[in-house]
Amino acid sequence: MRAHRSPLAVVGGVVPYVVSVGVAFAAAGIFLAVMGFDVPRAYGTILLTSFRTANGFVQTLLKFVPLLLLAMAFTVPLAAWKFNIGGEGQLIAGAIGAAAVGIALAALPRAALLPALLLAGVVGGALWAGVPAWLLYRFGINEILTTVLMNFVSFSLLDYVTTEVWPDPAAGHPTSVSIGAGGHLPLLVSSPPLHAGLLLALGVAAATYVYVNHTAAGYELRAVGANPRAALLHGIAVRRLFLLSLVLGGALAGLAGAVEVAGVHHRLIEGLQSNYLLLSILIGLIAKGNVLAVPFVAFAIAVLDVGARAMQRTMLIPGEVVFVVEGLILVFVLLSDVVRRR
Amino acid sequence: METAVTFARLVMLTLVPYVLAGQGTMLAGRAGVFNVAQEGIMLVGASVGFLGAYLSGGNLLQGMLLAMAVGGLFGLALAYFTTTLKMDQFVTGLALFFIGMALSTLLYRLAIGVTLTPPLIPTLRELPLPGLSRIPLLGVVLFRQNALVYGAVLLSLALYLFLYSSGSGMALRAVGENPMAADSLGVNVNLTRYLTTVTGAMLMGLAGAYLPMVYTATFTEGMVRGRGWLSIALTFFGGWSPHLIFLGALFFAAVEVLAFRVQVTGVGIPYQLILMLPYLATMAVMMPTFRRLQVPAFLGKNYDRERRALL
Repeated sequence: MRAHRSPLAVVGGVVPYVVSVGVAFAAAGIFLAVMGFDVPRAYGTILLTSFRTANGFVQTLLKFVPLLLLAMAFTVPLAAWKFNIGGEGQLIAGAIGAAAVGIALAALPRAALLPALLLAGVVGGALWAGVPAWLLYRFGINEILTTVLMNFVSFSLLDYVTTEVWPDPAAGHPTSVSIGAGGHLPLLVSSPPLHAGLLLALGVAAATYVYVNHTAAGYELRAVGANPRAALLHGIAVRRLFLLSLVLGGALAGLAGAVEVAGVHHRLIEGLQSNYLLLSILIGLIAKGNVLAVPFVAFAIAVLDVGARAMQRTMLIPGEVVFVVEGLILVFVLLSDVVRRR
Repeated sequence: METAVTFARLVMLTLVPYVLAGQGTMLAGRAGVFNVAQEGIMLVGASVGFLGAYLSGGNLLQGMLLAMAVGGLFGLALAYFTTTLKMDQFVTGLALFFIGMALSTLLYRLAIGVTLTPPLIPTLRELPLPGLSRIPLLGVVLFRQNALVYGAVLLSLALYLFLYSSGSGMALRAVGENPMAADSLGVNVNLTRYLTTVTGAMLMGLAGAYLPMVYTATFTEGMVRGRGWLSIALTFFGGWSPHLIFLGALFFAAVEVLAFRVQVTGVGIPYQLILMLPYLATMAVMMPTFRRLQVPAFLGKNYDRERRALL
C-alpha cells in the first residue's frame, strides 16, 4: 500500500499485533486454567509442535499452502471491498476440475498432465466464483450471500462426484479414484514428503502482491475499494472491477484445490476443504487486507492449527481453544485500529 | 390429501428458525445495523441451547433462555463495536461469525467430550390448542404444533403492527432510513441500534436452539447448515418487512421439506442434487427481484452523532 514506510511505522504496525496475541493467549489461558488444564504445557505444545521435528514443520508447511492461497482469495476481492466468503466452494470446484483432468487424461505424461490439471483447478475456481460475480454484476446481488450459498452447493457436488461419478469402491469414505501419476506434484523433500505446491503458492502470492500493490490495475482495484463513488467519477468501470476481483479470488482458491489434489490426496476426498475457509477469512481480516502481511499471518495460523491438533491428541484439550484464541486476536487487532484513530 | 396435510404441517414446523433469524436480521437492519453473524450466533444458540437443556436434565425452557442470553451477548458485542466504536459492520460481523462457530464446538466439547453415542435431550412437545386443533385439516396444520411455531407467527404479527402502526416503530424505521433526520427529531439513534441489534441476536440464538430441540435432539458440529446465511437472503427478498419475511420463510421451509422428502423417498434424482435445491432456488429467486427490493437506506452504515455524518 504505502510505498515508503519508515522503520518506526513498521514497528508501530507490529506492536498492536504483539499486544493482541498476548492478551488473547492470556484470556484463553485463564479460561483453561479455571477448567483445570495444564496451561504452560498446553501452550508449549501449541507453539512448539511445528518446530520440534521435521515432521511437524512439514505438516505446518502443508497446511500453510492452502491457507495462503485461500487467504489471498479472500484478500484480493477485499481490496475492492468485496467479501468473498465462498473460498471453500471455489477450492472444491478447483479440486474437482483438477481431478477430472487427472482422471480422464491419466495416461498423459507429466509435462502435459500437471499443467493441464493445475489450469483446470484455476478455471474451476474462477467459474465457481464467476456465478456470484455475475449475479453481482448483472443483478446487483450482495456477494456475501451468494458466495456463501455456492459453498453449500459445492459440498453436495463433491459428494455426488465422489460417490456417483468417479467412486472408489474400495474406500469407506466418499472418495474418487486416483489421478494419473503424471498429475502428482513433484516433491521438494521426500521424507517427510513435502510437495512443490509450496513454491507455487509462494510464487503466486508474490505475483498477486505485485498485481495489487504495484500495477495500475491493482491501483484501480484499491481505489474502488476505498471509495467506489469517487472511482466511478474518475472513469473506473467499478462493476467490472468487482466482477474481476471476485473471479481472481476464485482462481486463487481453485488453485488451492488443485494443489491439494495434485500434492496431498492425489484424488478427491469428501471434506478435503477442511476448515480452511474460516481460517482464511480470519487471516485476511487479521492482515487487514494487506497482501504483504497475509503470508506471515497465514504461517502463524498454520503453526497454531498444527499445534492445536497435537495438543488435542496428547492432552485431550479440545483444539477449538485455538479458534477462540484466534477470534480474540482478531477482535483485539480490529480494536487496536479504533484506539489509534482516537 | 393426507400427504398435502403432512407437507403443510412440516412446512410450519420448519419455518421457525427462518422466521426467527430473518426477523432478527430485519429488526437490526431497520435501525441500520447489518448483522452478518447469523450463522455463528445460531450455532452458539444450538450449542448452549442444547447444553442448557441437557445439563438441567431436559429442561428445554432453560436451554432456550440460555441460547437467547448468549445470542444477546453477541448482539451486544456487535452493537458496541459498530455503534459505539464505529467499526466496520461486515468485518465485525464476520469476526463474530468466526467466534460463534468456534465457541459452539468448544463449549460442547468441554461440557460433553467425545462420546460414542450422542447425548440426547427431549424434543419440543406438541401443544394442541383446545378447540382450534379439532378443525379438520387446518387444525392439524396450524394448531397442533409446538409453542415456538405459534411464537414465530405471533412474533411476525407483532413486529408488523409495531413497525407500521406504532410511534416507536416509525422512529425505528426512520433510524435506518435517515439517522440524521431521526436524530434531529429527538430519536436516540444509538440506543435504538443497541436495542434492535441485541433483540435481533437473541432471536437468532433461539433460532439455533430450535434445531437440536426439534430436529435432532442432540448437537452436531455445523448443524445450522447455512440457515443463518439463508436468513439474510430471506430478509432481503422479504423486503425488510415482517409480513413478507414470513411469506419468504414459508418458501424456504417448503423447499427444505421438499428436498428432505425427495431425499428420503428417492425419485430417481441423486439426493445430492436435491440438497443443492434450497441454495440454488434462493439465488434464482433473487435474480429478478433483487434490484427492486426495498432496503433500509442506511443499512450497513454507522452514524457519528458528533459529526452528524455516516461512516
